[in-house]
Amino acid sequence: MNRSIEMKAISLKGIHKTYPPSRKAEPVHALRGIDLEIEQGTIFSILGPNGAGKTTLISILTTLLFPDEGSGTICGFDLLTEQSQIREIVNVTSGNANFTDNFSVLENLNYYGMLYGIPKGLRNAKIEVLVEMFGLEAFRHTPFNQLSTGLKQRLALSKSLMNDPRVLFLDEPTVGLDPQISESIRRSLKEINQKEGLTIILTTHQMDEAEFLSDRIAFLRQGKIIAEGEGDELKRGIRLGDVIRIQYAGPPFNPDRLSLLEGILEVEIEDNRITVSVDDRGKRLDPLIRALTSGQHMVVKDIEILEPDLEDVFLELAKTPH
Amino acid sequence: MFFSNLQKHLIRTSAFALKNWLITKKRGFHLFEILFWPLLSLISVGLLTQFLGLESKMVEFVLIGVIAFSVIQIGQLDMAYVILYSIWNKSLKHEMAAPVNAFHLVGGSWTMGVVHSALIFLLLCVFSSVAFHLNFFDAGIVRLLLFFLGLTFFTASVGMVVCALAFRFGGRAHVGATFIVSVLVLVSGIYYPVEILPKALRFVAYLIPLTYFLEYFRSFYGFTPKSPNPLLFGFLLTAAYNMIALYLLCLSIQNARQKGILTKMSE
Repeated sequence: MNRSIEMKAISLKGIHKTYPPSRKAEPVHALRGIDLEIEQGTIFSILGPNGAGKTTLISILTTLLFPDEGSGTICGFDLLTEQSQIREIVNVTSGNANFTDNFSVLENLNYYGMLYGIPKGLRNAKIEVLVEMFGLEAFRHTPFNQLSTGLKQRLALSKSLMNDPRVLFLDEPTVGLDPQISESIRRSLKEINQKEGLTIILTTHQMDEAEFLSDRIAFLRQGKIIAEGEGDELKRGIRLGDVIRIQYAGPPFNPDRLSLLEGILEVEIEDNRITVSVDDRGKRLDPLIRALTSGQHMVVKDIEILEPDLEDVFLELAKTPH
Repeated sequence: MFFSNLQKHLIRTSAFALKNWLITKKRGFHLFEILFWPLLSLISVGLLTQFLGLESKMVEFVLIGVIAFSVIQIGQLDMAYVILYSIWNKSLKHEMAAPVNAFHLVGGSWTMGVVHSALIFLLLCVFSSVAFHLNFFDAGIVRLLLFFLGLTFFTASVGMVVCALAFRFGGRAHVGATFIVSVLVLVSGIYYPVEILPKALRFVAYLIPLTYFLEYFRSFYGFTPKSPNPLLFGFLLTAAYNMIALYLLCLSIQNARQKGILTKMSE
């Protein structure tokens, strides 16, 4: 299983998937030519609206679903011909994961450990480490159906680490969890990634989660990747720029006075507040203040600088025709 | 490497046996299902034979059929439950994301099915001996074991077809299971000899291994078999059906991965 140490964690070329029609539904072209390369040891987020194809992509990468077209490798193993080997080195969990309802935490972990072929001694040791890591010590013998949503999710994450995977797929891992538990799960994931060099691929609706966790991010829309890169790279790429908000005292300001300045993307004036979008705050702040104050009886009271977040990028990408 | 791989396969197979064992241990209803229905069936049919005043040879004929049918019923139920529980619990995708295949699934669930079947077989044999004076051990322990082995191997075919249906139709697969079992009751000579069936159904009866295993065992109670070597025929047919059923199961799992059924069944 070591053939792929130097390989990319994931390499996909031209992946297509169409769900066949049923009596009630038309065929759905869920993925339309996905090309993707992910380095080992990174945390990679796949963002996109509902129906974008995120879960389909994760299902294909975990071999739960076969692609109709295209090729790919996971840690060097061929997605179409070496599925068994892939299943040995990956693991998956999803938000609202379900397990056998009346099996306890230990029984579920033991069962999944056995499915991965882990010998008893090793399995028991691994279970102990995971139970401690995810704070499940007090719930060892609690049946799955009596666990709270947060505990179920912690069990799901424990299960997903049973086989020491090299690539971990998380399909909306914190959906439906309260912020405190979500935060603790994010911290655990970051820690595992940093300590063990585990590659983590996650889908999420939560932009702050993606921004906190991810080294790289891809936006998926209508089965296609429409943007991919580091968070900052994406923000720059779609030219959302920075926002400078200036509170002032003095006579009403004429926005035409800024028309000669370079790098101004948008100007909004409301009461005694000017909101200016600029391409680069470092270059534009000084000329902007000068332009505002020169020859005017204007006093700058407060300056606030806002960086766009991934939510803004996501909204911008969602409305951009592709 | 070979032994390490073999060990992994054995652990994966025993995972499904463990799952089945835990289901039995934790679900009182499942245990009830395993013990109660076969026992009830034996008692009611046994009483019917007494009411009809059947001679002991006829009572033996009927009760052998009832016990054989219970073994198959229990065994196939165990195999089906290993998948049906995952479907009902919506956990199938997590299990199928692990490096397991149809052999592990069948091996593990069938093993537990054999254990349950053996228990019920023994219980029914003892009960029918006490209540209806049918001594199963008269035929000899080796013949009894061969009869039981034949039944449990045939159970694997039925169980695999039900599992294949489950991967295709989800929880509705139990309809298929009921259908298969009903056909067996009708044509395999459980309550009556297959000779009384219409010609077309008789043809079907001799395509079913259970018919041969029943002929084999009843031959030790004074019923002449219609086939020259029923035990051999039974095992050969079972081997063929097991291969076909395993192929169907693999195909069904493949189809589920192709059409996204595994993920849909886990939503």
